[in-house]
Amino acid sequence: MKGAELVLQVLQQHGVDTIFGYPGGAIMPIYDALYQSNVKHYLCRHEQGGAFSAIGYARASGKVGVCMATSGPGATNLITSLADAMLDSVPVVAITGQVSQAVMGSDAFQEIDVLGLSLAVTKHSFMVRSVDELAATLHEAFAIAKSGRPGPVLVDIPKDVQLAEIAYHREPATAAKAAAIYTSLANAGKARALIAAAKKPMAYIGGGVHMAGAMTQLQQFLAANPMPSVTTLKGMGSVAKDNAHYLGMLGMHGTQAANLAVQQCDLLICLGARFDDRVTGNLQKFAPHARVIHVDIDPAEINKVRFADAALLGDMKQILPAISAGTDCAEWLSHCAQLKQQHGWRYDHPGERIYAPLMLKQLSERMPDNSVVCCDVGQHQMWVAQHMRFSSPRNHLSSGGLGTMGFGLPAAIGAKLARPQDTVITVSGDGSFMMNVQELATIKRFRLPVKIVIVDNQRLGMVKQWQQLFFNERYSETDLSDNPDFVALAAAFAIPGHCITRKDEVESALEAMFTWPGPYLLHVCIDDKDNVWPLVPPGAANEEMITEAKA
Amino acid sequence: MNHVLNITTTNTPAVVERLLQVTRYRGYELAGLQLTPRSDANSLNITLTVSGDKPIHLLTSQLHKLYDVQQLELVSAELAVLSA
Repeated sequence: MKGAELVLQVLQQHGVDTIFGYPGGAIMPIYDALYQSNVKHYLCRHEQGGAFSAIGYARASGKVGVCMATSGPGATNLITSLADAMLDSVPVVAITGQVSQAVMGSDAFQEIDVLGLSLAVTKHSFMVRSVDELAATLHEAFAIAKSGRPGPVLVDIPKDVQLAEIAYHREPATAAKAAAIYTSLANAGKARALIAAAKKPMAYIGGGVHMAGAMTQLQQFLAANPMPSVTTLKGMGSVAKDNAHYLGMLGMHGTQAANLAVQQCDLLICLGARFDDRVTGNLQKFAPHARVIHVDIDPAEINKVRFADAALLGDMKQILPAISAGTDCAEWLSHCAQLKQQHGWRYDHPGERIYAPLMLKQLSERMPDNSVVCCDVGQHQMWVAQHMRFSSPRNHLSSGGLGTMGFGLPAAIGAKLARPQDTVITVSGDGSFMMNVQELATIKRFRLPVKIVIVDNQRLGMVKQWQQLFFNERYSETDLSDNPDFVALAAAFAIPGHCITRKDEVESALEAMFTWPGPYLLHVCIDDKDNVWPLVPPGAANEEMITEAKA
Repeated sequence: MNHVLNITTTNTPAVVERLLQVTRYRGYELAGLQLTPRSDANSLNITLTVSGDKPIHLLTSQLHKLYDVQQLELVSAELAVLSA
């Protein structure tokens, strides 16, 4: 058997039946092996799109996503997506072809130092020097991608290794050293004492909880220790919809109730989150009265930006029950409920034009249970986080750490292939959508019934909002009023669509979109003056939010 | 402040680049580097001296995460002026 065939054998051994990629010279042996393989390959139209699809697949399913590219430009096109997976801790294995070892280091055609490029954007990376190392390296790549704090792993395979013959002996996948999760409960007593003593406890929930498979333990913890909770962008959907004490997302565009309550709390229980600057605002002024319990699987996150009075490392599933102490904070709960009541969203937007927050609320209420929503980046992304509700973080795929425009459409392709039975919706902006618009061809080819909602304000809205607020209304390069006709664009890919401009068209348009059996594009035109509120200005504490009324 | 780290790593092609990349990205300066293959040639003994104002645990915790790092020991912390 050739090395190329061995690659596919190992992938199948790991249960991989779906991969995303784009062929090219240095990876042709693997594509040749694919020709007769049971592994289903989805041809993307740009390697960045293929890798985002692998991310969408991984995030929607919890499995490892796999993508492939050729050497040189194929590999460099993966870099942005790998960085996205790195910052959002997504398990992805990327396989790249490399020029033959005989010409490596000679600036050969389509040769670039992919291993060197990978250092900053992967959890680990390999260059396979011999076909004898190939299977073991791939097993290791899978083990690393999904162990501990997950992340992307790149395996660069020179063409001669792909072509080399090897006698195949199926190795047990467990031969690779999977780092065992070491769980330390040494500080559990300290954490319980802090929880029992707290008058104003607050749970701050990140993406790490669901990635640890600890959703059940989280609900049990919140039931046994009643306290208000807030989530990060990646943690949205972690708290059960019927939990009355949930206050929404915190941070720069968080809810007022979430931000005010976090600023007032006396104990912050950080579960699988990392005190990102978009969460904390001015770090020195963040939750100034709070002692901190920090639970994470990554030791490097403990005391990285905020000192933890009690840190617990390891498996969230074991840690949450171990720190349960019971709370007694009825007054605090009622205070937070009042904040939530007082600062609830208002949807009584005047005029006929579509108000994106209301439209997204309608979309949220109308979409089938367990729908997956894939966002792009910008104003629409924050409106989705504010006005849509999710029953699981696997149903809300948003580029968090890297904030990568162009994420939504290809991520939706991956999500749809991972969960064909569920409705998958991309909510994109007119700026972001154009960044990986070529993936409409992938949707067309595989007739993937992805629903696409473009929230169009003819602007790079979030940048425009900052120009308006912080750069003296100097709108440098944010006018997109010459956008293409999105419905006509979709039609060119045999995707039907419809354009709406008025509030009273929203319900029927959403109904038409969901009723249509195949892919569909809904172009939603909104006022370019609508902004995302509240907003914590740069350098400010989280209680210093600018609201629409104040702006 | 200079910090001396004794590190044992697997002897893989990019391992030194990985150490240096993390050191630079996390905001520390390279002040010294010594490298010796161990007798089995499968691993390397590396002495990495770095300087920086930030607490050194912010670097060591990130270096620990490198897959090729087998052992890492913070040997000493000395003032740069004294070592000069």
